Amino acid sequence: MQLSLQEVIPVPLREKVNASKSGVWKTTQTFNKGEYIFIQAPSGTGKTTLVHILYGLRKDFEGVVKWNSTSLCTTNNETLAKLRATSISVIFQDMRLFPELTAWENVDIKRRLTNTVTEQQVSEWFDRLGLGDKKNSMGNNLSYGEQQRVSIIRALLQPFEWLLMDEPFSHLDHANIAKAIALISEVMNQHKAGMILADLDENNYFPYTQTILL
Amino acid sequence: MSDHKQTNLLKKLLLNTRHKSRLWAALAALCTGTTLLLISVMIWWNFRELLYGKNQNESLGSTYMIIGKQVKDRDMGKANATVFTQKEIDSLKLAPEVQDVGVISSNRFQVYAKMGGKLAFATELALECVPDKFIDKMPADWKWEPGNQNMPIIVSSKFLDIYNYAFAPSQGLPQLSESSVKSIALNLEVGQGEKMERFTAHVVGFSDRIESVLAPQSFIDYGNRKFGNGGVKESISQVILKAKDPSDTKFGDYLKRHDYRTNPQNLRWSRIRAIVEVVTSATGILALLLMGIGTLVFILFIELTIARAQHSLTLLLQIGYGPRFVSGFMIKRFLPMVVVTELVAMLLTVAGQVVTSNAVQTQGLVLPLVPGWPVWAALAVSTSILVLLVSRSISGAIAKQ
Repeated sequence: MQLSLQEVIPVPLREKVNASKSGVWKTTQTFNKGEYIFIQAPSGTGKTTLVHILYGLRKDFEGVVKWNSTSLCTTNNETLAKLRATSISVIFQDMRLFPELTAWENVDIKRRLTNTVTEQQVSEWFDRLGLGDKKNSMGNNLSYGEQQRVSIIRALLQPFEWLLMDEPFSHLDHANIAKAIALISEVMNQHKAGMILADLDENNYFPYTQTILL
Repeated sequence: MSDHKQTNLLKKLLLNTRHKSRLWAALAALCTGTTLLLISVMIWWNFRELLYGKNQNESLGSTYMIIGKQVKDRDMGKANATVFTQKEIDSLKLAPEVQDVGVISSNRFQVYAKMGGKLAFATELALECVPDKFIDKMPADWKWEPGNQNMPIIVSSKFLDIYNYAFAPSQGLPQLSESSVKSIALNLEVGQGEKMERFTAHVVGFSDRIESVLAPQSFIDYGNRKFGNGGVKESISQVILKAKDPSDTKFGDYLKRHDYRTNPQNLRWSRIRAIVEVVTSATGILALLLMGIGTLVFILFIELTIARAQHSLTLLLQIGYGPRFVSGFMIKRFLPMVVVTELVAMLLTVAGQVVTSNAVQTQGLVLPLVPGWPVWAALAVSTSILVLLVSRSISGAIAKQ
């Protein structure tokens, strides 16, 4: 699945984008299947806005964003839902867990939608990321770091061709970052998927094929 | 595909179990509204069945009356002054409230009745006939064919009353029961001279509707052809009408305009049917209002539930749940409530019909035990509308997310 951006300008950032130079905004970019793209973005340059636009959560932009031939501006919610369940996965910066569900239920509700990973495998992933004893903790009782790890597991429970990540390790220590990277890489390889990781500072979490300054 | 655990998780997120009392109140209003609607349709239909149905209640709904042309001073002596033309009969069929028209034919030949014994008498007799469907109590042996010696006749029950309560006491004669009158044989001499034929007549029934001596149509036609001097159609001086509501002023005006006369008592027919129609219409409107309010409260409850679960709903859509999937889940939860509500309303209505049917049976009236088709149609329509409204409101509310 190919991702292409043509002259994209987020409406709320129009003035800022017009006043500065960006490797993404107001340019034409094409990302091919299996590429590892790192978007380095200082604060306020629209990093989260970009991830949300690519994931189809925002439509307040000018220009064209296409997943293959599907333009996100004209896609209906049903097609978008299908795309999110089968082709594109995301790790939100703000985790977005259901506070009224336990850590396990937060993951299970996604797993039961897609049915690509077994219960046993998920349990194993919980153990690998140090969440084995947090399965029954409510979403709103987890620390940010725990929420982030649950959110990472949830993003990996589906078939996907692209994984979008918005500061995925911002609340994790080095040891946990390493565990998360290992798990993500393993699943990425399984799916032969590409990624777009947006973060504040330069890093070498993954072997990026392209680094772009937002 | 939704499994049990997934369903439980979605329930936890989307269906807030607090405020159950509001849901029960909405369902109760919906159920009451639907029941009232169905019952008002049932009452309306039952009255129609009683008044115009095919059961044994037919005479309840219509009034039969005999009309003739007013005999005026200037027309006295004119041969056909009071005779109805075919055009006038056709016009009567189209008159307001008139459901059926039957011509009354009379004998255009001489009939002489004689009886011997203690009640001996001899008299000239006027016979009339009407189409069988206008006879109120049809006797089993009401038929005559040329060659038959025995001739059945129907006598107005008023004639027997006059004899029993006025004539017999004044003359010192015995009073007669209906069965004793039926056992009396009358000797009839029909026609004159060489053509004269003799018949034995028996009273086979009494009519409350027609004040006359009735003979079978076949006998009058035979007599008029053989002994009379004119066709039956040329000598129609009276007509029997079946009218839906003779108290309708349009009907009265029609009779007045054409100078037709009838028993004015008939025109003072009670307006009970009109009252029933007003009452059922008012109940129906009330039921529709109540059902509308019930539906509104129920839909508002659904929308409130969705609004309360907005955060979860948005997140579900963000992690890949499709709007159609979520709508389907919500519809599957709420539609059975609608269906059960409608079923309860239907059961109450069926119970009402059974009670009504048994109640009217004691009055000698017949109503089916199962509600009529309009009740089922009202149920189908109200259920369809409810299902449509609920489905649309759920899909609409979810699409807005």
